[in-house]
Amino acid sequence: MNELKEVIIKRIKANFADAAERNDFKDNRLDIAVKKETIPSILFYLKDEMGFIHLSDIICVDWLEEGELEVVFILWSPVDKIKVFVRTRLDRDNPVMDNVDMIWRQANTYEREMREMFGVQFTGLVAPDEFILEDWQGPPPFRRDFDTAAYAEKTFWQRPGREDAQDVRETIAKRDGEEIPDFAKKYSR
Amino acid sequence: MREKATTLYIGPQHPGITGNMMVKVKVEGDTIVKARTEVGYLHRAFEKLQESRNWLQSFTLLCRFCVPEPDPVEESYARAVELLEGREVPERAKYIRVLMLELARMGAYMLWFGGQNASLGLYTMGQWSVGDRNYILDLFEELTGGRIYHMYIWPGGVRRDLPEGFADKVLRTMDYLEKRLKDYDDLMFENTIFQKRTQGVGVISKEKAVEWGVVGPVLRGCGIKSDIRIDDPYEVYDKLDFIVPTHEGGDIWSRALVRRQEIRQSIRIIRQVIEKMPSGEYYNRIPNPFKWTLPKGDAYARTESVRGEVGMYIVSDGSTHPRRTHFRGAAYVHGITLLENILVGENVADVSAIMNSLGVCPPEIER
Repeated sequence: MNELKEVIIKRIKANFADAAERNDFKDNRLDIAVKKETIPSILFYLKDEMGFIHLSDIICVDWLEEGELEVVFILWSPVDKIKVFVRTRLDRDNPVMDNVDMIWRQANTYEREMREMFGVQFTGLVAPDEFILEDWQGPPPFRRDFDTAAYAEKTFWQRPGREDAQDVRETIAKRDGEEIPDFAKKYSR
Repeated sequence: MREKATTLYIGPQHPGITGNMMVKVKVEGDTIVKARTEVGYLHRAFEKLQESRNWLQSFTLLCRFCVPEPDPVEESYARAVELLEGREVPERAKYIRVLMLELARMGAYMLWFGGQNASLGLYTMGQWSVGDRNYILDLFEELTGGRIYHMYIWPGGVRRDLPEGFADKVLRTMDYLEKRLKDYDDLMFENTIFQKRTQGVGVISKEKAVEWGVVGPVLRGCGIKSDIRIDDPYEVYDKLDFIVPTHEGGDIWSRALVRRQEIRQSIRIIRQVIEKMPSGEYYNRIPNPFKWTLPKGDAYARTESVRGEVGMYIVSDGSTHPRRTHFRGAAYVHGITLLENILVGENVADVSAIMNSLGVCPPEIER
């Protein structure tokens, strides 16, 4: 398998000089990092020339401290039985990259979700504006600096009778001046 | 004469839809001219929630990614963590995991039998197969304490060893279910209504299947032999003897046949697992989970579920919490781009049948 990986790396390096590879994994995995401009051409090449016909996954990772978003494509070759991780970095303030759904149709769904959840803009992506979020005006919610708990506290509210974290039955009894029956008392906190 | 187009909303509350999602179809007469999947009724932001939990606490969320078959998700997460950390898993644990996965596969297929037949108005099959599925759920309950959500496979192995006499119970259940398969065939595949409603409906060609990223039983129903258990073996699948059934045709009928045959293969795998399972440790203990850090890096582990490839991608920045986790579900591919495409030209009465045949699971789309 290691010779096969070497051959694959050699072929990629011959065509994409800026590709930085990482090949120290014990299993059938290979990592390639490229500039974002190279992404469509390297994916086309991997699919059409190298037999990586299956797109497993596209992931966006937020590296907040470094001011970058990382996009990872996981490809699989059913013939060579090798996984390739193609990764690229985008500027976090202006994350724009090329759309790749002409290579794999299902990429469209991944891109729609990334656009909504991470704010990555894909040039040439044809899809309805909204995917999961409806009428969302705020910042992309899956980024690291979006505080989900604070947002939930601001937007939603606790059911009355729960604010003191007491037993609901006790709170209601206190509020309405009711007597808790004896059989229920043993369940009180 | 061209008929006036009407828009129909199938879902989110509809008996023929497999969960909380909507298919908006534009029909002319009975024929669909445009279909659009609308999601957003169920999103729980599990991936974001996992970032605020430590590596072990994610498990209460993981099983809720897909309710009918939660075990492949747990297994892929556990294996991704083990890959990243380099943690060894005892051989016995691997066999127990395969046992779990195959039992879950059978249970999910039996539930699917019910859904597929109910989408065609045939309700008896569902009552039989979902009734029989309870025997599998009984096994899960004894082994894990939970019937649906197990949280049993975790990093380092499994949560507990098989109880006394459990293997015999599994074998007895397998004998019973194997006998029942004949009844299923009589009721389902010999049924003229089922044949007429499924043959030649929802056809996916081989070329289209590859182009649109189809996986799992749907791809095997197009005549392409592809199964992660064989192609990229995990756990102990490479030591077990089983075949991957395929069918030409690419219609609902072929996909149903593939699933039906896979149940027999699962029974075969489970019998081998019971026979070959070694004794010994079942768990390679992890450190205190509140102080447990994983090395920097990322890992992707994938598992063959009843819907196809599911996978978990995890990124660690060296802390006690994940930097990012991402779940790849098969329904994410099947339920949106593919479903929208193959519904065009079909009869509006077949929407539910086609959707069920693709195994669309909305909680997987909206994690």
